[in-house]
Formats: sequence, C-alpha cells, structure tokens
Amino acid sequence: MLTHHLTEATLQEYSVGALSKAMETLIACHLTVCPHCRHRAQLHDAVGGVMLDRIEPATVQTLPQNIIERASQQAELTKTKPLEDDLSSRNTNGIPRPLARLLPAPIDQLKWRTIAPGLKQFNLTNQPRKDGAFKLISAAPGLSMSEHTHKHRELTYIVCGSYSDKFGQFNAGDISDLDDDDLHEPVVDSEIPCISLIATDAPVKFSGMMGKVIQPFIGI
Amino acid sequence: MEPTLQESTKLAEQASINERMQRNLLAIASDRDETAFADFYAYFAGRVKSFLMGKGMNEDTSEELVQEIMITVWRKAQSYDPGKAAASTWLFTIARNRRIDYLRGNSRIEVELDDYMLEEDDTVVSQEASLNLIQQSSILEKTLTKLPQDQQQVMHLSYYRGLSHGDIAQWLSIPIGTVKSRIRLAMQTMRSEFSEQESE
Repeated sequence: MLTHHLTEATLQEYSVGALSKAMETLIACHLTVCPHCRHRAQLHDAVGGVMLDRIEPATVQTLPQNIIERASQQAELTKTKPLEDDLSSRNTNGIPRPLARLLPAPIDQLKWRTIAPGLKQFNLTNQPRKDGAFKLISAAPGLSMSEHTHKHRELTYIVCGSYSDKFGQFNAGDISDLDDDDLHEPVVDSEIPCISLIATDAPVKFSGMMGKVIQPFIGI
Repeated sequence: MEPTLQESTKLAEQASINERMQRNLLAIASDRDETAFADFYAYFAGRVKSFLMGKGMNEDTSEELVQEIMITVWRKAQSYDPGKAAASTWLFTIARNRRIDYLRGNSRIEVELDDYMLEEDDTVVSQEASLNLIQQSSILEKTLTKLPQDQQQVMHLSYYRGLSHGDIAQWLSIPIGTVKSRIRLAMQTMRSEFSEQESE
C-alpha cells in the first residue's frame, strides 16, 4: 500500500506539459504503480479539456477535406518502441517501464559511481548541474543523508528498500514530492540498500557542514 | 450559489455540444464519417490553434500542428473511449503531447498501459467515475467560472500561456508557494463539487 503521493500542483504541471522529461519519467513511474494518483491525474486532463472548450477560436486556413486527404496520403506511422524486445528478456523486476527504458543494463549491473562511503549514483543525464539532477542513488542501510532543502522541486521515486524522514517512511513505489522550503534528512531504514530515482529542478541546498562538502560529489 | 438563467442556458448548450462532439468521434471511429469529422473540425480546429498560439507558438507552426493533431484525430478515433474521457479531454491530451513533441523533439513520458508493473484500479472507488463525463465537463465548466479571481488567474496562465509555476510566480511577483496553493485550492474546489453533485 503506497502512502506518499504526488501533490496537486505537480499533477497539474504534468497535465499541462510544463515539466522536464526527467520529472515526467519519475511521475510516470509512480503513476504506473499508483491507481490513486492516476485517477487524480484524470481530473487535471479534464480541466484541460474544458479550458480548450472555453477558448476563443482562431481562424484556420485548412479545410477538413484536406486533412482527410493528407491522412490517406501519408503512410501510417507506427510508434516505435526500440527497447521492447530487450526489456522483456531483461531483468527489470520491480522497475516501471518509463525508468527501465533508460537503463543500459539491469540495475545490479549498472556502472555505479561511488560518491561517499555507502553511497553510489548512476547519472541519467548529461545536462549541467545548474539545470537540475536526474539520477539513481543507491544508499546503504543505516546511511543518513545530510539535511537539505531544494529550490523549486525535488521528486524522489523509491525503486527498492526504504528510508524515513520527518514526513514518514518511504517504500518502493512511494514518491516524495518536496517544495522549496521542505527541509529533510532521510535515513535508510531497510536491510537492503535503498535505491531511488531523483529529479530536481535546481541543485539542492545542504545546510550542514558535511552536506556542503559532499554536495559537489553527489551533484544533487 | 445557484447559476442564473443565462448561465444555465449556456451550460446546457455546452453540454449538448460536448455530446455532439463525442458522437462525432464515435462516428469517425466506426464509419470513417467525413461529415462528423467536418463538424468536429469546425468546432475544435480553431480552438486548438488558439491554444497553441496562446503559448507563444507562431501562426504558421500552430496551423501546421493543428493539421497534424487533426490527422491524429481522424486516424486514432478508435482509441477514444467515451467511458474514460470527454471528447475535449481526449483532444487536449493529443494537442499537449504533440506540442511537447514539437518543442522537445521527444515524446512526453507517460504510463505504458501494457507495463507488467501497472497496478490496476480495483480498489479506488471514485466519486467522479459514476458521474457521466458530459455531466463532469459541465460541472467543471461551471466551477471554473466561479473560482476566486486569483485562482482563475493562475489557471489561465498555466493552461493558456503554458507557464510553469515558477514562471507564473515571477510573472505575478508572488512566491511560488502561493502559486501552488492557488492551484491546489482550485482543484480542491472542483473535486468537492463532484462529491456534492454525487450526493444530491
């Protein structure tokens, strides 16, 4: 049973299409395993439909017959899912497909980079750090992350294991949807390493001394 | 607050348009009905174009994207499920996704319905689900117009201007937390309107 969900604001930005691909991936992972949020998301799309109804129409040059002609001239485009065969043969156990598609190897065979004792990461983007992070983090049992806040938004999707902070315990499938001023200090409380997918809009701000030292290495 | 007679008439008109658009989609899907498509197009093409231009897209590109979106409508009408979404909702998601695709060069990331990890919706008893979708659109329409001005403003900037919450905050010179709470309040109002209608 999932206990931590997406906020209304995040669902709304996802619905209008104002989020990055990294954020979308994380949201789609949670929505895959959370019918509750999937259901909530539908209302946002329905509002989008009503907004479309209410808009003053612009003048369109093309006639509907031209659209039908064009449609019949073009070959039917089928959406390609290049990783499909690969995915079914691979061990993607417990990983929703939006994330599985991005992984070059099963999660235990990824080229993890150790960034501190008990802490490893696998980067999913090449974009500069100032534009936000998108990565998998693997944290050993008992590990405590330095207390930090975020500019704008940090989304964390728990792939396996669990951690706790002042907001409660986060298990596989849960999402942590934090805003600007939410200070938190997650501690891994599972017996296995806690692997989570993280996306931020902008770098997090660590408040402790240890955090300041560690931040350039973790890159979140 | 009860709607005025004029408002009620307008809502009834909109509900009948919604129903007609839904029938159009079903006729396109089952019979490749060109008259139904022409009616759907006449109502929605200009709206979709206006929607795209409002978000800063130039007229030529918007016109081109409208054509592509409408080609999708013609081809994919079979995938429209009247039990899941109003016609306008379905079209909104197509237009949104096509715009993202155009701007970013890659598709919006969504739930894949054949994902073996997909958790089925059997425990969620939805209040909204038992209301028909035509009714749902009318309630949303009515509720939107009754929202406080500051909530309508952020909804407008988000849906019609395509601004992120951060951009809206800058635009209005208010904290981003205020933008988010206005969005939250607006959505809470809409959800509670559903519950009320249900229990009546």
